[in-house]
Amino acid sequence: MTNKDIALETLAQISKSGFSDASTRVVAEEFHELQAENGAINLMRTNFETDVGITGIKDHKKASLSVNKTDGETLSKTVANLSDMARGASPDDAYGIASTQPAETFDAGPVEPDYDRMYDRIVEVQDYAKQQYPDLNIGSVAITFGNRRSVYVNSNDVQFESRRGVYRVSTMFTSKRGKQTSSMNYFNYSAYDLDTPVQDMVNADALMRQSTEQIDTHNIPAKFTGDMIITPNALGSFVGFLTGKISDAALISGTSVYKDKLGESVTSDKLSLRSCPVADGVSSGYWVTGDGYKAENSTIVENGVLKSYLLGLYGANKTGLPRAVNAGGCYQIDEGETDLEALIGGVEQGILIGRFSGGNPNDRGDFSGIAKNSYYVKDGKIQFPIKETTVSGNMLSLLNSIKAVSKERLNFGGSILPWVLTDGVTAS
Amino acid sequence: MQIAEIDLSKYSNQYSSYTELRLHENRLLNIALLNGDIVSNMQDTNGGVSARVFDKGAWGFSSNPNATNDSIETTIQAATRNAEFLAKRSGNPELTLPRSQASANSDSNTQKPRKTQDEIIAFLKGIDTYVGEHCPDIVSRQVVLNCLDMEKKLQTSEGSTGHNTNSRSIVAVKLTTRNEAGEPIELSQAIGDRGQFEDVFETPERIHAAVDEMYKHLMNKKTAVKPVSGYHDVILASDLAGILAHEAIGHTTEADIVREGSIAGDYLGEQIASELITLVDFANSHNGEILPMPIYMDDEGVESHDAVLIENGVLKSFMHNKDSAQHFNMPLTGNARAFSYTDEPLIRMRNTAILPGKDKLEDMIASIDDGYLLMRPTNGQADTTSEFMFGVQMGYEIKNGKLGKAITDTTISGVAFDMLKEVTMLSDEMVWGCAGMCGKKQPMPVGMGGPAVKTKVFIGGE
Repeated sequence: MTNKDIALETLAQISKSGFSDASTRVVAEEFHELQAENGAINLMRTNFETDVGITGIKDHKKASLSVNKTDGETLSKTVANLSDMARGASPDDAYGIASTQPAETFDAGPVEPDYDRMYDRIVEVQDYAKQQYPDLNIGSVAITFGNRRSVYVNSNDVQFESRRGVYRVSTMFTSKRGKQTSSMNYFNYSAYDLDTPVQDMVNADALMRQSTEQIDTHNIPAKFTGDMIITPNALGSFVGFLTGKISDAALISGTSVYKDKLGESVTSDKLSLRSCPVADGVSSGYWVTGDGYKAENSTIVENGVLKSYLLGLYGANKTGLPRAVNAGGCYQIDEGETDLEALIGGVEQGILIGRFSGGNPNDRGDFSGIAKNSYYVKDGKIQFPIKETTVSGNMLSLLNSIKAVSKERLNFGGSILPWVLTDGVTAS
Repeated sequence: MQIAEIDLSKYSNQYSSYTELRLHENRLLNIALLNGDIVSNMQDTNGGVSARVFDKGAWGFSSNPNATNDSIETTIQAATRNAEFLAKRSGNPELTLPRSQASANSDSNTQKPRKTQDEIIAFLKGIDTYVGEHCPDIVSRQVVLNCLDMEKKLQTSEGSTGHNTNSRSIVAVKLTTRNEAGEPIELSQAIGDRGQFEDVFETPERIHAAVDEMYKHLMNKKTAVKPVSGYHDVILASDLAGILAHEAIGHTTEADIVREGSIAGDYLGEQIASELITLVDFANSHNGEILPMPIYMDDEGVESHDAVLIENGVLKSFMHNKDSAQHFNMPLTGNARAFSYTDEPLIRMRNTAILPGKDKLEDMIASIDDGYLLMRPTNGQADTTSEFMFGVQMGYEIKNGKLGKAITDTTISGVAFDMLKEVTMLSDEMVWGCAGMCGKKQPMPVGMGGPAVKTKVFIGGE
């Protein structure tokens, strides 16, 4: 049986069990990995993975189950179990499945891994780092390749099939000289090919160089409130507050600070944020949402104005607000008008933050955390790497205080992000 | 076929070099209520077979979701081929692994009749109703149940065998109110223990008591003041001591992190903390009590031993897997664990704790003129430098030896190897937490514990 046959057969069983609305997703992935630790390639992995997710709604009661077996006996038991689970649930009119859409097939990326190239790229980046930065130790570098096939069907005649083959690169490194150690750092990205050396991707070379500089860190001269340049590698920590607070849980509970803000200005007009899971070149995207809708790219914030919430079908039904055309992620921030060099040059006193190690912001957006792999900036120049420096502020204020966005952006395979200059951050 | 019914010994003739063969299934139940509505009602069962083979310093790994005879044989062959591929390219014949042979069987399955989904949902609705009735000044409530069973059956080419199941059941409650300015103020807590739902939540009283306590603190937090930024005398309540033991010190003493450059590598045998501090990663039990995450044999077939990391302030040892024990020429500790059948075992903590002292909490509070009592963490992170950070969602000022106003959410930080030298008092109580989920390439449930600790840390704020 093909995965599509399994999906349709399982869907039929769910419907036969009395569910008025049902969906099935079958995913199969071949996963390959080469991993190096402390300079030696020491792990080669081949995994075969499957996942069958089923959802049923009966009498407005909903249940979901997933198993990673596709044999008939397991799936029959799973469908029977779904009925038991739904029986105990509470009815809610907001439950639903995707409405009828034309069947479609999606395909991207290579089908097979190029192990030789995976191996060579790992050796290359390790040799490069050893030669250029003798104090740097790449604790781990891994290149994986996953070829993932997915089928989604539901009882509203929705049928989507997709396949994507993608490489993912991840690293973690520190630098050490004598008894002095730098803070650890890392970079990750995904791509359809390995044509570009690892050290030439996502600012990797600069991050490795900075790691060796960060062996010798200094305290900032004194506590101050000033600017913060957020690097693309750290930007996700700050954008994540906004995207979290416009999603289902925060809006349904009514505690979101962005409640009733659709169409209003919520950030500086220099910020335009988009979610682009189906954009060209996005290798970590998706074509179908978890609810079973064909995904589209969307604008979340345009010139500071909130254009869309990130509500799924349940959240939309529950709040009466529009359903988002995708499930978020794959965030892109529009490039700005300022060169990175000029952006740094405009800072009187501030922090260039490479990594944010912080507590989860509270519902009001108050945050504080440690500026890791970061630098003190004074009179438009990067001065020195910093240690034990806490940065604190409020996420809403921070996003409203954006003064400039760089022309340069980094493409991580899923997200494409610039450097962002903001102010009003307290460093101590 | 159930894991218990599969005989792994019949595959031993297929091992060409050191091999681990593991059957592994994770079973997760998640039910979430948001303001009384069920927003999640799901179960996930994820399992299969994996093989890991060592050849001349290289590891080959393979996994398959189907544990049939054919797929088990295919998985062993694929892992062997992978190890041979790497061994030919970059193998080192000099590298061998320390040998081990152990046997362990443990079962966390309840002996009570299993609850139906209806009964479990009814229990959670009862909690939700209790919150609604006893917490009148809240604007939002969440009640989330997570139950996880991890079942593993292992055989190694060195003769280790074991069949072990670990379970834990956690109810997380989040309450949100509004302050006078209309801003949301929240507090959350995880309540639970090792074991399946029927054993952990026989009655709801334990959760009711926790909700009552949370609500009291939440009401205090409505008028909270911002802490003053800077270094302060603090008392880290036992919840924070556990995460301190895990994040700030534990990670720096995992031997793979040491090998990557952790600062702990330079201080073995040296005084790095106050003499009051003894810190242990317990394998499975302490003082006759079975701990939140009992491990009797790890996923490399090594009998699990307690790892005494700091004893009376002196850094004594690291946690190991076979690779690191070989590299450092140190004894095996049995810390290698894998989260899923698709994962290789990594060095992971089990039950990490600072041992208690002799002080009373009230005396510790009375000893501080101007400082803070920090009570409940959110998240935490560590670094190779031993610099740590924890989010704190509940705390109070201490003024002239007495508790003052509640403080707003904040973050504390410091350098663990410096901060531990500042420890001057430890309470005589030992509190274990069971809800920890460590993230280090793979997620992993862990236990952590400790007493209240008096020390100095940096508090973020204004």
